[in-house]
Amino acid sequence: MKCEWVRENITLHVYGELADDARHELEQHVARCADCAAELKAEQEFHAVLSQDRAAEPTPNLLAASRMRLQEALETAEPGGFWRRLVFDPAQWLRQVSFSPALASVILILGFTGGVGTSYKVFVHPVVTSTSTVPAPVESSITGIQSVTQQPGTNQIDIKYNTVSTQEAQGSMNDQRIQQLLLFAARNNYNSGVRMDSVDLLTQKPDVSQVRDALIYALRYDTNPGVRLKALDGLGGFVKDDVRVRDVVLEALVNDSNPGVRTEALRLIEPVKADGSVRGVLMTLSAKDQSQYIKSQARTMLAQLPEID
Amino acid sequence: MPADVLAVTLAVGARIHSKKNRVEKVSGNQDPPTRAMAGQERRIDDTILIREAQSGNRAAFEELVRHYDQAVLRLALHLTGTEHDAQDVYQDAFLKAYKNIGSFRFECSFYTWIYRIVTNLCLDHLRKKNVRKEDAPVVKDASGGEYDLLDQVPDGRAGANPERDLMRRQLGARISGALEKLTPRERMVFELKHYHGLKLRTVGEILHTTEETAKNTLFRATQKLRGQLADMR
Repeated sequence: MKCEWVRENITLHVYGELADDARHELEQHVARCADCAAELKAEQEFHAVLSQDRAAEPTPNLLAASRMRLQEALETAEPGGFWRRLVFDPAQWLRQVSFSPALASVILILGFTGGVGTSYKVFVHPVVTSTSTVPAPVESSITGIQSVTQQPGTNQIDIKYNTVSTQEAQGSMNDQRIQQLLLFAARNNYNSGVRMDSVDLLTQKPDVSQVRDALIYALRYDTNPGVRLKALDGLGGFVKDDVRVRDVVLEALVNDSNPGVRTEALRLIEPVKADGSVRGVLMTLSAKDQSQYIKSQARTMLAQLPEID
Repeated sequence: MPADVLAVTLAVGARIHSKKNRVEKVSGNQDPPTRAMAGQERRIDDTILIREAQSGNRAAFEELVRHYDQAVLRLALHLTGTEHDAQDVYQDAFLKAYKNIGSFRFECSFYTWIYRIVTNLCLDHLRKKNVRKEDAPVVKDASGGEYDLLDQVPDGRAGANPERDLMRRQLGARISGALEKLTPRERMVFELKHYHGLKLRTVGEILHTTEETAKNTLFRATQKLRGQLADMR
Protein backbone atom coordinates (compact mmCIF):
# COMPACT_ATOMS: atom_id res chain seq x y z
CA MET A 1 0.00 0.00 0.00
CA LYS A 2 2.79 2.38 0.91
CA CYS A 3 4.67 1.65 -2.30
CA GLU A 4 1.48 2.17 -4.29
CA TRP A 5 0.90 5.55 -2.61
CA VAL A 6 4.51 6.57 -3.31
CA ARG A 7 4.25 5.68 -7.00
CA GLU A 8 1.06 7.64 -7.37
CA ASN A 9 2.71 10.68 -5.86
CA ILE A 10 6.16 10.57 -7.43
CA THR A 11 5.06 12.78 -10.34
CA LEU A 12 3.74 15.42 -7.94
CA HIS A 13 7.01 15.20 -5.99
CA VAL A 14 9.08 15.81 -9.12
CA TYR A 15 6.92 18.82 -9.98
CA GLY A 16 7.16 20.20 -6.42
CA GLU A 17 3.43 19.84 -5.87
CA LEU A 18 3.47 17.63 -2.76
CA ALA A 19 2.55 19.09 0.63
CA ASP A 20 5.49 19.30 3.05
CA ASP A 21 4.35 16.38 5.25
CA ALA A 22 3.65 14.14 2.23
CA ARG A 23 7.02 15.03 0.72
CA HIS A 24 8.75 14.09 4.00
CA GLU A 25 6.87 10.78 4.11
CA LEU A 26 7.79 10.00 0.51
CA GLU A 27 11.47 10.79 1.03
CA GLN A 28 11.58 8.63 4.16
CA HIS A 29 10.05 5.71 2.27
CA VAL A 30 12.31 6.07 -0.76
CA ALA A 31 15.37 5.98 1.51
CA ARG A 32 14.30 2.51 2.71
CA CYS A 33 12.70 1.01 -0.41
CA ALA A 34 14.98 0.16 -3.36
CA ASP A 35 12.09 -0.34 -5.83
CA CYS A 36 10.55 3.06 -5.10
CA ALA A 37 14.01 4.67 -5.19
CA ALA A 38 14.49 3.24 -8.70
CA GLU A 39 11.06 4.48 -9.70
CA LEU A 40 11.87 7.98 -8.44
CA LYS A 41 15.17 7.97 -10.34
CA ALA A 42 13.39 6.87 -13.53
CA GLU A 43 10.78 9.60 -13.13
CA GLN A 44 13.46 12.24 -12.52
CA GLU A 45 15.39 11.09 -15.62
CA PHE A 46 12.23 11.21 -17.69
CA HIS A 47 11.47 14.67 -16.39
CA ALA A 48 14.99 15.77 -17.34
CA VAL A 49 14.50 14.48 -20.90
CA LEU A 50 11.17 16.30 -21.23
CA SER A 51 12.69 19.48 -19.86
CA GLN A 52 15.09 19.66 -22.81
CA ASP A 53 12.08 20.47 -24.97
CA ARG A 54 10.90 23.99 -24.19
CA ALA A 55 7.86 25.86 -25.44
CA ALA A 56 9.23 28.35 -27.97
CA GLU A 57 8.74 32.03 -27.27
CA PRO A 58 6.73 33.78 -29.98
CA THR A 59 8.95 35.85 -32.24
CA PRO A 60 8.72 39.66 -31.90
CA ASN A 61 7.31 39.78 -35.43
CA LEU A 62 4.52 37.34 -34.60
CA LEU A 63 3.70 39.26 -31.43
CA ALA A 64 3.69 42.59 -33.28
CA ALA A 65 1.52 41.19 -36.09
CA SER A 66 -0.94 39.69 -33.57
CA ARG A 67 -1.16 43.00 -31.70
CA MET A 68 -1.82 44.93 -34.89
CA ARG A 69 -4.52 42.52 -36.01
CA LEU A 70 -6.18 42.72 -32.61
CA GLN A 71 -5.97 46.50 -32.57
CA GLU A 72 -7.76 46.67 -35.91
CA ALA A 73 -10.49 44.33 -34.71
CA LEU A 74 -10.95 46.30 -31.49
CA GLU A 75 -11.70 49.43 -33.51
CA THR A 76 -15.02 47.92 -34.53
CA ALA A 77 -15.74 45.67 -31.54
CA GLU A 78 -18.21 46.67 -28.85
CA PRO A 79 -17.10 46.23 -25.24
CA GLY A 80 -19.32 45.25 -22.31
CA GLY A 81 -21.48 42.38 -21.10
CA PHE A 82 -25.12 41.49 -21.55
CA TRP A 83 -26.34 42.74 -18.16
CA ARG A 84 -24.45 46.00 -18.50
CA ARG A 85 -26.43 46.82 -21.62
CA LEU A 86 -29.70 46.38 -19.77
CA VAL A 87 -28.80 48.57 -16.80
CA PHE A 88 -28.93 52.31 -17.37
CA ASP A 89 -26.14 54.03 -15.50
CA PRO A 90 -26.20 57.84 -15.96
CA ALA A 91 -22.54 58.30 -14.89
CA GLN A 92 -21.50 55.58 -17.29
CA TRP A 93 -23.54 57.18 -20.04
CA LEU A 94 -21.87 60.55 -19.50
CA ARG A 95 -18.43 58.95 -19.70
CA GLN A 96 -19.34 57.19 -22.90
CA VAL A 97 -20.54 60.47 -24.32
CA SER A 98 -17.16 61.98 -23.62
CA PHE A 99 -15.41 59.10 -25.42
CA SER A 100 -17.73 59.12 -28.41
CA PRO A 101 -15.93 60.02 -31.62
CA ALA A 102 -19.00 61.90 -32.82
CA LEU A 103 -18.57 64.30 -29.91
CA ALA A 104 -14.79 64.47 -30.09
CA SER A 105 -15.01 68.16 -30.88
CA VAL A 106 -16.62 68.71 -27.49
CA ILE A 107 -13.40 67.69 -25.82
CA LEU A 108 -11.38 69.92 -28.10
CA ILE A 109 -13.50 72.98 -27.58
CA LEU A 110 -13.45 72.46 -23.81
CA GLY A 111 -9.70 72.79 -23.78
CA PHE A 112 -9.58 76.02 -25.73
CA THR A 113 -12.62 78.02 -24.82
CA GLY A 114 -12.29 77.72 -21.08
CA GLY A 115 -15.74 76.23 -20.89
CA VAL A 116 -14.62 74.25 -17.87
CA GLY A 117 -15.28 75.88 -14.56
CA THR A 118 -18.04 78.27 -15.55
CA SER A 119 -19.09 80.04 -12.37
CA TYR A 120 -22.42 81.68 -11.66
CA LYS A 121 -24.64 82.56 -8.78
CA VAL A 122 -28.24 81.56 -8.08
CA PHE A 123 -30.57 82.45 -5.24
CA VAL A 124 -32.52 79.93 -3.26
CA HIS A 125 -35.59 82.22 -3.04
CA PRO A 126 -37.72 81.80 -6.18
CA VAL A 127 -38.24 85.56 -6.59
CA VAL A 128 -34.48 86.25 -6.60
CA THR A 129 -33.68 83.45 -9.06
CA SER A 130 -34.72 85.68 -11.93
CA THR A 131 -31.70 87.93 -11.18
CA SER A 132 -29.29 85.16 -12.15
CA THR A 133 -26.97 86.44 -14.90
CA VAL A 134 -26.67 83.11 -16.74
CA PRO A 135 -29.61 81.14 -18.17
CA ALA A 136 -30.37 77.94 -16.28
CA PRO A 137 -28.27 75.11 -17.78
CA VAL A 138 -29.88 72.12 -19.45
CA GLU A 139 -29.45 69.15 -17.11
CA SER A 140 -27.96 66.88 -19.77
CA SER A 141 -25.19 69.42 -20.53
CA ILE A 142 -23.81 69.33 -16.95
CA THR A 143 -20.84 66.97 -16.63
CA GLY A 144 -20.30 67.58 -12.92
CA ILE A 145 -20.58 69.99 -10.00
CA GLN A 146 -17.17 71.16 -8.75
CA SER A 147 -18.19 72.90 -5.52
CA VAL A 148 -21.19 74.27 -3.61
CA THR A 149 -20.58 76.99 -0.98
CA GLN A 150 -22.93 79.33 0.88
CA GLN A 151 -21.61 82.80 1.64
CA PRO A 152 -21.64 83.35 5.43
CA GLY A 153 -24.50 85.51 6.74
CA THR A 154 -26.35 85.64 3.40
CA ASN A 155 -28.68 83.36 1.48
CA GLN A 156 -26.38 83.46 -1.56
CA ILE A 157 -24.95 80.19 -2.86
CA ASP A 158 -21.92 79.80 -5.18
CA ILE A 159 -21.91 76.76 -7.44
CA LYS A 160 -19.06 75.85 -9.78
CA TYR A 161 -20.00 73.35 -12.45
CA ASN A 162 -18.68 71.94 -15.73
CA THR A 163 -20.67 71.87 -18.92
CA VAL A 164 -20.27 70.45 -22.38
CA SER A 165 -21.60 71.86 -25.62
CA THR A 166 -20.99 70.67 -29.18
CA GLN A 167 -19.27 73.22 -31.39
CA GLU A 168 -17.89 73.13 -34.86
CA ALA A 169 -14.81 74.80 -36.26
CA GLN A 170 -14.08 75.37 -39.93
CA GLY A 171 -11.02 76.82 -41.61
CA SER A 172 -7.89 76.11 -43.65
CA MET A 173 -4.65 74.59 -42.43
CA ASN A 174 -3.25 78.12 -42.05
CA ASP A 175 -5.95 78.95 -39.50
CA GLN A 176 -4.33 79.05 -36.03
CA ARG A 177 -7.45 77.69 -34.35
CA ILE A 178 -7.68 74.73 -36.73
CA GLN A 179 -4.01 73.98 -36.13
CA GLN A 180 -4.51 74.08 -32.37
CA LEU A 181 -7.50 71.74 -32.53
CA LEU A 182 -5.57 69.32 -34.73
CA LEU A 183 -2.61 69.42 -32.33
CA PHE A 184 -4.96 68.61 -29.46
CA ALA A 185 -6.65 65.79 -31.38
CA ALA A 186 -3.30 64.28 -32.40
CA ARG A 187 -2.25 63.89 -28.79
CA ASN A 188 -5.45 63.24 -26.89
CA ASN A 189 -8.13 61.64 -28.98
CA TYR A 190 -9.19 58.11 -28.18
CA ASN A 191 -10.26 57.28 -31.69
CA SER A 192 -7.17 56.28 -33.63
CA GLY A 193 -8.95 57.20 -36.88
CA VAL A 194 -9.27 60.82 -35.67
CA ARG A 195 -5.62 60.80 -34.55
CA MET A 196 -4.57 59.41 -37.92
CA ASP A 197 -6.52 62.11 -39.82
CA SER A 198 -5.14 64.86 -37.57
CA VAL A 199 -1.53 63.69 -37.88
CA ASP A 200 -1.99 63.31 -41.63
CA LEU A 201 -3.14 66.94 -41.93
CA LEU A 202 -0.40 68.17 -39.61
CA THR A 203 2.26 66.65 -41.86
CA GLN A 204 1.45 69.51 -44.26
CA LYS A 205 2.99 71.95 -41.78
CA PRO A 206 6.04 70.20 -40.34
CA ASP A 207 8.03 73.46 -40.36
CA VAL A 208 5.82 74.85 -37.56
CA SER A 209 7.65 74.06 -34.32
CA GLN A 210 4.53 72.96 -32.38
CA VAL A 211 3.47 70.70 -35.24
CA ARG A 212 6.89 69.07 -35.35
CA ASP A 213 6.68 68.50 -31.58
CA ALA A 214 3.29 66.83 -32.03
CA LEU A 215 4.66 64.56 -34.78
CA ILE A 216 7.62 63.61 -32.58
CA TYR A 217 5.18 62.86 -29.76
CA ALA A 218 2.99 60.72 -32.04
CA LEU A 219 5.98 58.75 -33.35
CA ARG A 220 7.23 58.12 -29.85
CA TYR A 221 4.02 57.40 -27.93
CA ASP A 222 1.05 56.69 -30.21
CA THR A 223 -0.24 53.13 -29.76
CA ASN A 224 -1.41 52.83 -33.35
CA PRO A 225 1.33 51.90 -35.87
CA GLY A 226 -0.56 53.63 -38.69
CA VAL A 227 -0.41 56.96 -36.82
CA ARG A 228 3.30 56.41 -36.09
CA LEU A 229 3.95 55.76 -39.78
CA LYS A 230 2.16 58.99 -40.77
CA ALA A 231 4.19 60.94 -38.20
CA LEU A 232 7.37 59.35 -39.53
CA ASP A 233 6.51 60.42 -43.07
CA GLY A 234 5.92 63.98 -41.89
CA LEU A 235 9.26 64.11 -40.09
CA GLY A 236 11.28 62.55 -42.92
CA GLY A 237 12.42 65.85 -44.44
CA PHE A 238 14.00 67.05 -41.19
CA VAL A 239 16.26 64.12 -40.42
CA LYS A 240 19.23 66.05 -41.82
CA ASP A 241 18.71 69.37 -40.09
CA ASP A 242 16.94 68.65 -36.81
CA VAL A 243 18.86 66.51 -34.31
CA ARG A 244 15.69 65.87 -32.27
CA VAL A 245 14.00 64.41 -35.34
CA ARG A 246 17.07 62.28 -36.11
CA ASP A 247 17.05 60.95 -32.54
CA VAL A 248 13.37 60.05 -32.56
CA VAL A 249 13.67 58.31 -35.93
CA LEU A 250 16.62 56.31 -34.58
CA GLU A 251 14.57 55.48 -31.50
CA ALA A 252 11.78 54.16 -33.72
CA LEU A 253 14.31 52.18 -35.76
CA VAL A 254 15.67 50.45 -32.67
CA ASN A 255 12.62 50.12 -30.41
CA ASP A 256 9.39 50.25 -32.39
CA SER A 257 7.31 47.08 -32.11
CA ASN A 258 6.10 47.35 -35.70
CA PRO A 259 8.35 46.05 -38.50
CA GLY A 260 6.82 48.47 -41.04
CA VAL A 261 7.66 51.51 -38.90
CA ARG A 262 11.21 50.22 -38.40
CA THR A 263 11.73 49.63 -42.11
CA GLU A 264 10.48 53.13 -42.94
CA ALA A 265 12.74 54.63 -40.24
CA LEU A 266 15.71 52.80 -41.75
CA ARG A 267 14.89 54.24 -45.17
CA LEU A 268 14.65 57.77 -43.78
CA ILE A 269 18.08 57.75 -42.12
CA GLU A 270 19.77 56.79 -45.39
CA PRO A 271 20.85 60.42 -46.15
CA VAL A 272 22.52 60.78 -42.73
CA LYS A 273 24.06 57.32 -42.44
CA ALA A 274 27.54 58.83 -42.14
CA ASP A 275 26.57 60.62 -38.92
CA GLY A 276 28.31 59.18 -35.83
CA SER A 277 25.14 58.32 -33.89
CA VAL A 278 23.50 56.77 -36.96
CA ARG A 279 26.61 54.73 -37.76
CA GLY A 280 26.64 53.43 -34.16
CA VAL A 281 23.00 52.33 -34.40
CA LEU A 282 23.59 50.68 -37.79
CA MET A 283 26.54 48.72 -36.40
CA THR A 284 24.42 47.45 -33.50
CA LEU A 285 21.56 46.48 -35.83
CA SER A 286 23.85 44.74 -38.31
CA ALA A 287 25.35 42.67 -35.50
CA LYS A 288 22.33 41.50 -33.55
CA ASP A 289 18.96 42.63 -34.80
CA GLN A 290 16.23 39.99 -34.72
CA SER A 291 14.92 40.98 -38.14
CA GLN A 292 16.97 39.52 -40.95
CA TYR A 293 15.85 42.30 -43.29
CA ILE A 294 16.91 45.13 -40.96
CA LYS A 295 20.18 43.33 -40.26
CA SER A 296 21.07 42.93 -43.92
CA GLN A 297 19.99 46.48 -44.85
CA ALA A 298 22.08 47.91 -42.02
CA ARG A 299 25.07 45.92 -43.26
CA THR A 300 24.55 47.18 -46.81
CA MET A 301 24.34 50.79 -45.64
CA LEU A 302 27.50 50.40 -43.54
CA ALA A 303 29.34 48.83 -46.48
CA GLN A 304 28.59 51.91 -48.57
CA LEU A 305 30.25 54.20 -46.02
CA PRO A 306 33.93 55.14 -46.27
CA GLU A 307 36.19 53.49 -43.67
CA ILE A 308 37.02 55.58 -40.60
CA ASP A 309 40.78 55.93 -40.06
CA MET B 1 -12.11 66.67 -13.39
CA PRO B 2 -13.91 65.44 -16.50
CA ALA B 3 -13.64 61.72 -17.13
CA ASP B 4 -11.81 62.18 -20.44
CA VAL B 5 -8.99 64.13 -18.79
CA LEU B 6 -8.55 61.30 -16.29
CA ALA B 7 -8.47 58.76 -19.09
CA VAL B 8 -5.77 60.62 -21.03
CA THR B 9 -3.55 60.82 -17.95
CA LEU B 10 -3.98 57.12 -17.37
CA ALA B 11 -3.17 56.12 -20.92
CA VAL B 12 0.11 58.04 -20.97
CA GLY B 13 1.03 56.96 -17.45
CA ALA B 14 0.26 53.33 -18.18
CA ARG B 15 2.54 53.33 -21.18
CA ILE B 16 5.41 54.71 -19.14
CA HIS B 17 4.61 52.16 -16.48
CA SER B 18 4.79 49.26 -18.87
CA LYS B 19 8.21 50.42 -20.01
CA LYS B 20 9.36 50.40 -16.39
CA ASN B 21 8.07 46.85 -15.99
CA ARG B 22 10.05 45.76 -19.02
CA VAL B 23 13.24 47.20 -17.54
CA GLU B 24 12.59 45.31 -14.32
CA LYS B 25 12.19 42.08 -16.23
CA VAL B 26 15.51 42.55 -17.99
CA SER B 27 17.43 43.17 -14.77
CA GLY B 28 15.96 39.95 -13.32
CA ASN B 29 17.74 40.19 -9.95
CA GLN B 30 15.04 41.54 -7.69
CA ASP B 31 14.89 40.31 -4.13
CA PRO B 32 11.64 38.59 -3.08
CA PRO B 33 10.05 41.58 -1.24
CA THR B 34 10.65 43.80 -4.28
CA ARG B 35 9.15 41.14 -6.53
CA ALA B 36 6.16 40.77 -4.21
CA MET B 37 5.67 44.53 -4.25
CA ALA B 38 5.98 44.57 -8.03
CA GLY B 39 3.34 41.82 -8.18
CA GLN B 40 1.04 43.77 -5.93
CA GLU B 41 1.64 46.93 -7.96
CA ARG B 42 0.75 44.98 -11.12
CA ARG B 43 -2.44 43.77 -9.44
CA ILE B 44 -3.45 47.32 -8.47
CA ASP B 45 -2.41 48.50 -11.88
CA ASP B 46 -4.58 45.80 -13.49
CA THR B 47 -7.54 46.68 -11.29
CA ILE B 48 -7.41 50.31 -12.45
CA LEU B 49 -7.01 49.23 -16.06
CA ILE B 50 -9.91 46.76 -15.81
CA ARG B 51 -12.20 49.40 -14.31
CA GLU B 52 -11.23 51.86 -17.03
CA ALA B 53 -11.75 49.19 -19.71
CA GLN B 54 -15.15 48.39 -18.22
CA SER B 55 -16.12 52.03 -18.57
CA GLY B 56 -15.28 51.90 -22.28
CA ASN B 57 -11.63 53.02 -22.31
CA ARG B 58 -10.10 51.00 -25.15
CA ALA B 59 -6.56 52.27 -24.52
CA ALA B 60 -6.76 50.83 -21.00
CA PHE B 61 -7.83 47.47 -22.41
CA GLU B 62 -4.97 47.51 -24.92
CA GLU B 63 -2.54 48.17 -22.07
CA LEU B 64 -4.06 45.25 -20.18
CA VAL B 65 -3.58 43.07 -23.26
CA ARG B 66 0.12 43.92 -23.29
CA HIS B 67 0.47 42.63 -19.72
CA TYR B 68 -0.66 39.15 -20.75
CA ASP B 69 -0.45 38.69 -24.48
CA GLN B 70 3.05 37.27 -24.73
CA ALA B 71 2.18 34.43 -22.31
CA VAL B 72 -1.11 33.85 -24.11
CA LEU B 73 0.57 33.68 -27.51
CA ARG B 74 3.25 31.31 -26.18
CA LEU B 75 0.60 28.95 -24.81
CA ALA B 76 -1.45 29.09 -28.02
CA LEU B 77 1.64 28.60 -30.17
CA HIS B 78 2.77 25.48 -28.33
CA LEU B 79 -0.70 23.96 -28.15
CA THR B 80 -1.79 24.61 -31.70
CA GLY B 81 1.62 24.09 -33.29
CA THR B 82 1.26 26.76 -35.99
CA GLU B 83 1.66 30.52 -35.95
CA HIS B 84 -1.54 30.93 -37.94
CA ASP B 85 -3.69 28.99 -35.47
CA ALA B 86 -1.94 30.64 -32.53
CA GLN B 87 -2.79 34.07 -33.94
CA ASP B 88 -6.43 33.02 -34.34
CA VAL B 89 -6.62 31.83 -30.72
CA TYR B 90 -4.91 35.05 -29.55
CA GLN B 91 -7.34 37.19 -31.53
CA ASP B 92 -10.46 35.29 -30.44
CA ALA B 93 -9.37 35.26 -26.79
CA PHE B 94 -8.78 38.98 -26.46
CA LEU B 95 -11.83 39.93 -28.49
CA LYS B 96 -13.93 37.70 -26.26
CA ALA B 97 -12.33 39.30 -23.20
CA TYR B 98 -13.06 42.77 -24.60
CA LYS B 99 -16.68 41.94 -25.29
CA ASN B 100 -17.16 40.42 -21.85
CA ILE B 101 -15.02 42.74 -19.76
CA GLY B 102 -18.22 44.30 -18.43
CA SER B 103 -19.16 41.02 -16.76
CA PHE B 104 -15.77 40.59 -15.07
CA ARG B 105 -16.60 40.81 -11.34
CA PHE B 106 -13.14 40.50 -9.74
CA GLU B 107 -14.12 37.11 -8.29
CA CYS B 108 -10.84 35.72 -9.60
CA SER B 109 -7.70 37.40 -10.89
CA PHE B 110 -7.68 38.73 -14.45
CA TYR B 111 -4.80 36.27 -15.04
CA THR B 112 -7.06 33.30 -14.23
CA TRP B 113 -9.92 34.81 -16.22
CA ILE B 114 -7.94 35.37 -19.42
CA TYR B 115 -6.26 31.94 -19.12
CA ARG B 116 -9.72 30.40 -18.74
CA ILE B 117 -10.79 31.98 -22.02
CA VAL B 118 -7.60 30.93 -23.81
CA THR B 119 -7.61 27.36 -22.51
CA ASN B 120 -11.26 26.93 -23.55
CA LEU B 121 -10.42 28.09 -27.07
CA CYS B 122 -7.35 25.83 -27.17
CA LEU B 123 -9.37 22.86 -25.91
CA ASP B 124 -11.88 23.43 -28.72
CA HIS B 125 -8.98 23.61 -31.16
CA LEU B 126 -7.45 20.37 -29.83
CA ARG B 127 -10.79 18.57 -30.04
CA LYS B 128 -11.28 19.65 -33.63
CA LYS B 129 -7.68 18.70 -34.42
CA ASN B 130 -8.24 15.21 -32.99
CA VAL B 131 -11.18 14.79 -35.37
CA ARG B 132 -9.11 15.97 -38.34
CA LYS B 133 -6.05 13.94 -37.39
CA GLU B 134 -6.49 11.41 -40.18
CA ASP B 135 -5.84 14.15 -42.72
CA ALA B 136 -2.57 15.26 -41.12
CA PRO B 137 0.62 15.06 -43.20
CA VAL B 138 2.00 12.18 -41.15
CA VAL B 139 4.08 9.48 -42.82
CA LYS B 140 5.92 6.39 -41.58
CA ASP B 141 9.70 6.04 -41.52
CA ALA B 142 11.68 2.89 -42.32
CA SER B 143 11.20 1.45 -38.82
CA GLY B 144 7.43 2.03 -38.97
CA GLY B 145 7.44 5.04 -36.60
CA GLU B 146 5.21 7.99 -37.52
CA TYR B 147 6.60 11.46 -38.04
CA ASP B 148 5.15 14.76 -39.16
CA LEU B 149 6.30 15.97 -42.56
CA LEU B 150 6.30 19.56 -41.34
CA ASP B 151 8.91 18.71 -38.72
CA GLN B 152 11.32 17.80 -41.50
CA VAL B 153 11.45 21.34 -42.90
CA PRO B 154 15.00 22.55 -42.16
CA ASP B 155 15.70 25.55 -39.99
CA GLY B 156 17.27 28.07 -42.35
CA ARG B 157 18.24 30.59 -39.70
CA ALA B 158 21.80 31.79 -39.88
CA GLY B 159 24.11 30.67 -37.10
CA ALA B 160 22.12 27.54 -36.25
CA ASN B 161 24.16 24.51 -35.26
CA PRO B 162 22.88 21.87 -37.71
CA GLU B 163 23.72 18.81 -35.58
CA ARG B 164 22.30 20.17 -32.36
CA ASP B 165 19.36 21.58 -34.26
CA LEU B 166 18.61 18.17 -35.78
CA MET B 167 18.71 16.51 -32.35
CA ARG B 168 16.53 19.22 -30.87
CA ARG B 169 13.99 18.81 -33.64
CA GLN B 170 13.98 15.03 -33.37
CA LEU B 171 13.41 15.24 -29.62
CA GLY B 172 10.72 17.90 -30.11
CA ALA B 173 9.00 15.82 -32.78
CA ARG B 174 8.94 12.70 -30.58
CA ILE B 175 7.56 14.62 -27.62
CA SER B 176 4.99 16.43 -29.80
CA GLY B 177 3.84 13.09 -31.18
CA ALA B 178 3.42 11.71 -27.67
CA LEU B 179 1.60 14.84 -26.47
CA GLU B 180 -0.87 14.55 -29.31
CA LYS B 181 -1.92 11.13 -28.07
CA LEU B 182 -3.12 12.59 -24.78
CA THR B 183 -6.74 13.64 -24.36
CA PRO B 184 -7.25 17.41 -24.80
CA ARG B 185 -7.75 17.84 -21.06
CA GLU B 186 -4.67 15.79 -20.12
CA ARG B 187 -2.68 17.75 -22.68
CA MET B 188 -3.87 21.05 -21.23
CA VAL B 189 -3.03 20.15 -17.63
CA PHE B 190 0.39 18.87 -18.67
CA GLU B 191 1.02 21.96 -20.82
CA LEU B 192 0.11 24.43 -18.08
CA LYS B 193 2.15 22.56 -15.48
CA HIS B 194 5.21 21.41 -17.39
CA TYR B 195 5.76 24.15 -19.98
CA HIS B 196 4.23 27.11 -18.19
CA GLY B 197 5.05 26.22 -14.56
CA LEU B 198 1.59 26.99 -13.16
CA LYS B 199 0.61 25.60 -9.76
CA LEU B 200 -1.93 22.76 -10.02
CA ARG B 201 -4.25 24.78 -7.81
CA THR B 202 -4.26 27.54 -10.45
CA VAL B 203 -4.65 24.96 -13.21
CA GLY B 204 -7.73 23.63 -11.39
CA GLU B 205 -9.19 27.15 -11.13
CA ILE B 206 -8.57 27.82 -14.81
CA LEU B 207 -10.15 24.55 -15.91
CA HIS B 208 -13.09 24.85 -13.49
CA THR B 209 -12.07 21.77 -11.54
CA THR B 210 -10.45 20.84 -8.23
CA GLU B 211 -6.74 20.72 -7.47
CA GLU B 212 -7.16 17.01 -6.73
CA THR B 213 -8.59 16.33 -10.19
CA ALA B 214 -5.78 18.34 -11.77
CA LYS B 215 -3.26 16.18 -9.83
CA ASN B 216 -4.87 12.97 -11.04
CA THR B 217 -4.93 14.26 -14.62
CA LEU B 218 -1.24 15.21 -14.46
CA PHE B 219 -0.41 11.74 -13.12
CA ARG B 220 -2.33 10.05 -15.95
CA ALA B 221 -0.73 12.30 -18.58
CA THR B 222 2.78 11.64 -17.29
CA GLN B 223 2.19 7.88 -17.16
CA LYS B 224 1.00 7.90 -20.77
CA LEU B 225 3.96 9.99 -21.89
CA ARG B 226 6.41 7.68 -20.11
CA GLY B 227 4.84 4.75 -21.92
CA GLN B 228 5.11 6.53 -25.28
CA LEU B 229 8.66 7.73 -24.77
CA ALA B 230 10.03 4.74 -22.86
CA ASP B 231 13.00 4.31 -25.21
CA MET B 232 14.21 7.87 -24.75
CA ARG B 233 15.49 7.54 -21.18
